[in-house]
Amino acid sequence: MPNIPVLEPHITLDADEQEALQQRLIKKHDTAVILLHWFNACIWALELATGGALLAGDGYRIAPAWWRDFMISVFGSQGMILKVHVTAGIIWTTVLLVYGIFGFRKYLLRTVTNYLVPDRDDLRWLRSRLFLILGRPETLPPQGIYNGGQKLYGIVVYLGTAVIILTGFIMAHHIGPNWLVQWSILFHFLAAGGIFAGLFVHVYMGAVLPEERPAFYSMFTGKVPELYAYKHHYKWWRQYKETEAEWREELAREVESKPSSAPDGPAAKEDP
Amino acid sequence: MTTYGMVIDLERCVGCHACVAACKVQWEVPAGESRDWVVPIGPTKDAEGLLSGFYVGLCMHCERPSCVEACPTKATYKRDDGIVVVDRALCIGCGICVGACPYGARYHHAGLRKVDKCDFCQERLARGEEPACVTTCITSCRHFGDLENPESDASRHLAHSRRLESAEARLGPNVRYLAKDRTWRLVHDAFAPPAPELSTPAWLLQKIARPLILLAIGAAFAGQAIAFFSQLRRGEHPIEE
Repeated sequence: MPNIPVLEPHITLDADEQEALQQRLIKKHDTAVILLHWFNACIWALELATGGALLAGDGYRIAPAWWRDFMISVFGSQGMILKVHVTAGIIWTTVLLVYGIFGFRKYLLRTVTNYLVPDRDDLRWLRSRLFLILGRPETLPPQGIYNGGQKLYGIVVYLGTAVIILTGFIMAHHIGPNWLVQWSILFHFLAAGGIFAGLFVHVYMGAVLPEERPAFYSMFTGKVPELYAYKHHYKWWRQYKETEAEWREELAREVESKPSSAPDGPAAKEDP
Repeated sequence: MTTYGMVIDLERCVGCHACVAACKVQWEVPAGESRDWVVPIGPTKDAEGLLSGFYVGLCMHCERPSCVEACPTKATYKRDDGIVVVDRALCIGCGICVGACPYGARYHHAGLRKVDKCDFCQERLARGEEPACVTTCITSCRHFGDLENPESDASRHLAHSRRLESAEARLGPNVRYLAKDRTWRLVHDAFAPPAPELSTPAWLLQKIARPLILLAIGAAFAGQAIAFFSQLRRGEHPIEE
């Protein structure tokens, strides 16, 4: 076990320590995750806009009637809206499959097993976060790389995505009997509607709430200030420091194992 | 204002099925399916003696069509001229409308994977022709035209026509029938429409899922709005961490 400084979140850091942590950026997201996130956001915007116009029957629609008229004026006809909706869905599914297959161990499995399974701290976080937003003073329990809210929404999104792809495929290609297509409409709607409802909270928490703003910037840069990680994702921060310490020890062993006189060794390549 | 409709004289129909054949050929309706149909009734006996005839069915192009209400995408809609049509570019073939039509006028076209039905031969109408079943009928028992125009063939036969409705289904069909009372009793007993049926998933979607999702979206929006105004009231710290 590498020797890392023990800093518990309830211990108040002094100003110098805070400033030192604030200056350091640590990596939170891989490039693939960032690209997938924004690809997902674009596709979702398109699919929600077109889907809202497609579910147009008076007993079914959730968007106002003018929304369908507006989308028809954009795409030319409701038939074209359906084509765009299905085509974007196929592109979305293809990209997710490529990500899921080629990045199965590196990204997908790691995300599902390590990041999306909630623990007791996550549940406590959800309760405390709600009270905090409403103005009641609360201490947030330490969190992993994703907090309780992100995990909860992550579970909804992962399950919902599977349902949307499966039911979308059934509807687009009319797989099976009519009753299967009819049930697919229901579950497609529930999954997309559930994710859409959570999207308000996701966007607010990610992009508007000042305390979580570094998380928003990290979806562009991949990095967050270490102070933010320390305060908001303490459990992940400790893991990160362990990994960092292991990496430093590994590096030190590598340097020690190389003869210092070697002309092309690492020592010779070091910057002055 | 135009409202297309048809008046069918059941006393003149001889059950030759020429109209059914013409329709199937015109619209390449697959085997086993039909946009219109002729069904023998009787022979049976009533107080006046033996009775038999034919019932002629097709889409009724109702004034308040239950299929339009049932369609989730508005692929089925009622045109300004009263004709109920299916927009194939938009139909996903879910078949909710098939069960919702109490006259059984719709079927699922397996080849197209869409729902199909009589549309009064809208392409022929656009060319100024009458529907194929009307021009083919050897006894001229079908009278087609604009019900709003007193000069049309349909309007001239409208006076004593009857609508095939029931207490459970009063949809205002614009296909009407001419028949003697005893023939009509036979037809009504056998073919009176049941209440329109909405399939279980469609019912769940309309009555449970839709309000539930609207509530969830509303609550999420209201929640973040409250949080946002609370944030505005508190103000932001000058130094961002």
